[in-house]
Amino acid sequence: MLGQVVISGLLAGALYSMVALGLGLIFGVMRVLNVSHGPLLMLGAYTTFWLFHWLGLNPYLSLVVSMPVLFVVGMVLQRLFVSRVVDAPELSTLLLTFGISIALVNLAQLAFTADLRSVEYLTGSFVLGPFAFSKSRVIACAFAIVITAAAFLFLKATRLGKAIRAVSQSREVAQVCGIDVGRIHLLAFGIGSALAAAGGTLVAVMVAIQPEMGQVYTFKSFLVIVLGGAGNYPGALLGGLLLGLIEQISSLFLTTQVNEAVAYVLLVLVLLVRPTGLLRGRAS
Amino acid sequence: MRHLFLPFLVVVLVVLALYPIAGTGYGVRFMLQLFMWIALAQSWNLISGLTGYVSFGHIAFFGMGAYTAGILIAKLGWPWLLASLAGGLGAVVLALVIGFPCLRLKGPYFAIAMLGLNEVLRVAVSYFERLTGGGSGLSLPALYASVPIYYAMGLTAVAVTGLAYVIVTSRFGLRLMTIREDEVAAESMGIDTFRYKLYAFLLSAVAPGIVGGLAARDQSYIEPISVFPLIMTITMIVMVLFGGKGTIWGPVLGAVLLFTLQEMIWARFIYLHQLLFGAIIITVVLLMPRGILGVLQQKYNLPRTI
Repeated sequence: MLGQVVISGLLAGALYSMVALGLGLIFGVMRVLNVSHGPLLMLGAYTTFWLFHWLGLNPYLSLVVSMPVLFVVGMVLQRLFVSRVVDAPELSTLLLTFGISIALVNLAQLAFTADLRSVEYLTGSFVLGPFAFSKSRVIACAFAIVITAAAFLFLKATRLGKAIRAVSQSREVAQVCGIDVGRIHLLAFGIGSALAAAGGTLVAVMVAIQPEMGQVYTFKSFLVIVLGGAGNYPGALLGGLLLGLIEQISSLFLTTQVNEAVAYVLLVLVLLVRPTGLLRGRAS
Repeated sequence: MRHLFLPFLVVVLVVLALYPIAGTGYGVRFMLQLFMWIALAQSWNLISGLTGYVSFGHIAFFGMGAYTAGILIAKLGWPWLLASLAGGLGAVVLALVIGFPCLRLKGPYFAIAMLGLNEVLRVAVSYFERLTGGGSGLSLPALYASVPIYYAMGLTAVAVTGLAYVIVTSRFGLRLMTIREDEVAAESMGIDTFRYKLYAFLLSAVAPGIVGGLAARDQSYIEPISVFPLIMTITMIVMVLFGGKGTIWGPVLGAVLLFTLQEMIWARFIYLHQLLFGAIIITVVLLMPRGILGVLQQKYNLPRTI
């Protein structure tokens, strides 16, 4: 029982890590908490749904569409709106991204209606000894690991990735070194949105798709980056896995309704006890 | 101009006091809700407009008041006025409990903590079914009391605006604004920042608690999602921002304009009104972050006590 729970937790956690890494990247580079992260994930899920519905495209293959599309959407949002409030107090950024969030959700409602949609692609489970895992979760986890690894490789090994890390450490110093900070912001928002889109595509096979499906992921991503330490990218990985584990384990003892609150309680507790995160992040 | 303001204010108050005699049922209920929004916006301004600490879950105090009063009315048969005052007290107790730990958090962390606490409270209310009716809500015995509730809401709105005036023109208010401008500097000048933030936080919880209780009585039915919605926190923030944050009349102006807009125009575009609201938020944040009064203050060199 416990083994099953732990593995399910890690499967879910890998997905959380990837989605939260996107939020963490934006927060780390710009100090902007993007409330519209979940709705961007929702758009990714719809991209997959329509491609599957109209063209019969393999949902996992649609990653190559949903990620670039949302990368562009993210950059457009950054250019048009977010770039104007990067240096403003947190009230402006929180409100602005919240405004974007409800606008996106309602645009989706107008365009796609509020009907529940699903991508019926992969059902059934892998059975391994005493354990059983739904196929879609295992595959989602595998993709999440690959995409997260690619993102880390990009951050670690390329000049552009290095520039992103430099800007998140100190914007002024990065600027003095000749890094075009505005461009890095644009890129960070694009990559962050693309990671959200990847999350959307991967959950599209598992859950019902509807315009308000994203908000939960916004909160969970907040929790993950708080757990891991804001601005600490490996921390986001640890945070995601931890959240997945805790949610699965607590679901053994709690009703679904109360389990929903676990993430929030944890969020508040971690903020109070250790606001710099479990791995030391940057206190504001 | 300035010497005309006080007589103008008196006339407005007298007209509002006499309004229920002539007003229609709809009109009275419209005004009653407007008063509620003024009280909410004004309260948010006390903590966030003055100290800069963004309370992103301020509606928690409204919900706390609504449930405190609702339970007292439905289970113990308290008179609604007394129950609503108890709702205010309940909200202050809540503010005390969460203020101590949370006000030590800075910047976005305080905002997220408040957001999380509001959700925790919402789920907690759904969980204690025996007391709160859980997710299916709590019904209060029927009572038609729009006009008395109108006066109670109105008085609360006036009182909290009066409180804002007293605070903004006092040394206490100056200390709060010093915290907003530069907390470290405030501390080095000998201001016990934590204590003053806590005072402001407690004061900002009273009115939401009271109007929460009044709203519960007015609607005769409350449920977790109707009294702890994030969108109501956002609405009060946008009202303050629109009118001018950190000012006395800004929240009033913002509440009047936005609520009227909501009722008059958005009701006709049911499918679009959320989208319009999103557009308004984005516009206000990008184009007029100082709000109407903030712009006027800067342009005409008005005092901050407007």
